[in-house]
Amino acid sequence: MEDFTTNTGQSQPPLSGQTPGQPGGQSLGIAALITAIVTFVLAVIPCVGIIAMIPGIIAIVLASIGLSQASRKDSPRGILVAGLIIGVVATLISFSQIFVAGKIGDKFQKEWGGNIENVINDVQRNVLDELEDGNVSIKINADGDSVEIKASAGKQNRHQELEELEKANTGINDSLDKYK
Amino acid sequence: MTAWISTNNSFSELKERFRREPYLQVNLIFTGVIMLVFAYSGFFSPASDNYPVVCIHEKLTGEPCVSCGLSHSFSLIVRGRISEANEWNIYGLRVFIFFAAQLLMRIGFSVFYIKYPETGKQLITYDIAVSIMLFIVSFLPYIEWIIKQIHLS
Repeated sequence: MEDFTTNTGQSQPPLSGQTPGQPGGQSLGIAALITAIVTFVLAVIPCVGIIAMIPGIIAIVLASIGLSQASRKDSPRGILVAGLIIGVVATLISFSQIFVAGKIGDKFQKEWGGNIENVINDVQRNVLDELEDGNVSIKINADGDSVEIKASAGKQNRHQELEELEKANTGINDSLDKYK
Repeated sequence: MTAWISTNNSFSELKERFRREPYLQVNLIFTGVIMLVFAYSGFFSPASDNYPVVCIHEKLTGEPCVSCGLSHSFSLIVRGRISEANEWNIYGLRVFIFFAAQLLMRIGFSVFYIKYPETGKQLITYDIAVSIMLFIVSFLPYIEWIIKQIHLS
């Protein structure tokens, strides 16, 4: 019988339906390990760190499938476990960069949130000013009859009236002394 | 004739070993991946600025991150313009050295592994240890930056 002992000391008996030297899940293990290591390198590069989550999940899935195959066929699991551990750690590093999204949220709240509030207040003030100065006209048409209601808030008029009243009242002695 | 048979035998033996040994397969694939990284750096040029990879962090926050300009830096290093590469990304050279060292290590360790099969486990252990150390030294500024960002948020 052919000896399938590798340099790493892993005894690998040939299995039916498989290439000699490639025990159950071994190919998946190699794929998982490579994907996991590439993910690890990508995860620590901030520019592409968040994207690394995708190959990380792929590595975990590959390693998990390989492990289940290996456990069924009683094959060595060294590479599969290594792939799984590196994949999980790399995915966690990549996932941790989502915290950056929290920072983005804070920035949005601080910089944009305040601006939006100011804009809303300005618009509200402008609308109120225009309404107070403007004239409102409501026309209702019903069965040939029409009714028109004209209303004027007349902010300026009210200001004028108030000023006139103040002027007029200054000449009147409204103290209690005259009743003595 | 005997020499040809011997060469043919050794080639088929080598092929068989590559098929059987996961370490050699992993090394072969990583050699290809690193070659692709260098090919990417050589193909895209800073002059035309046609890099397909954009910084997601900069897109989201509007602020450049510590790894911004790494592709430009790699392209310039491949073209031998080291000082310009440093201007694009100050850590570009050390990351490039990591990839170059890994390329040499993959080829070197594979040759050693084939030539001296009895070194097997020790060689792999040494490879893992050296690779981890190189990785930490090369990517330390990026790791520090990520930790800092997490603390800030």
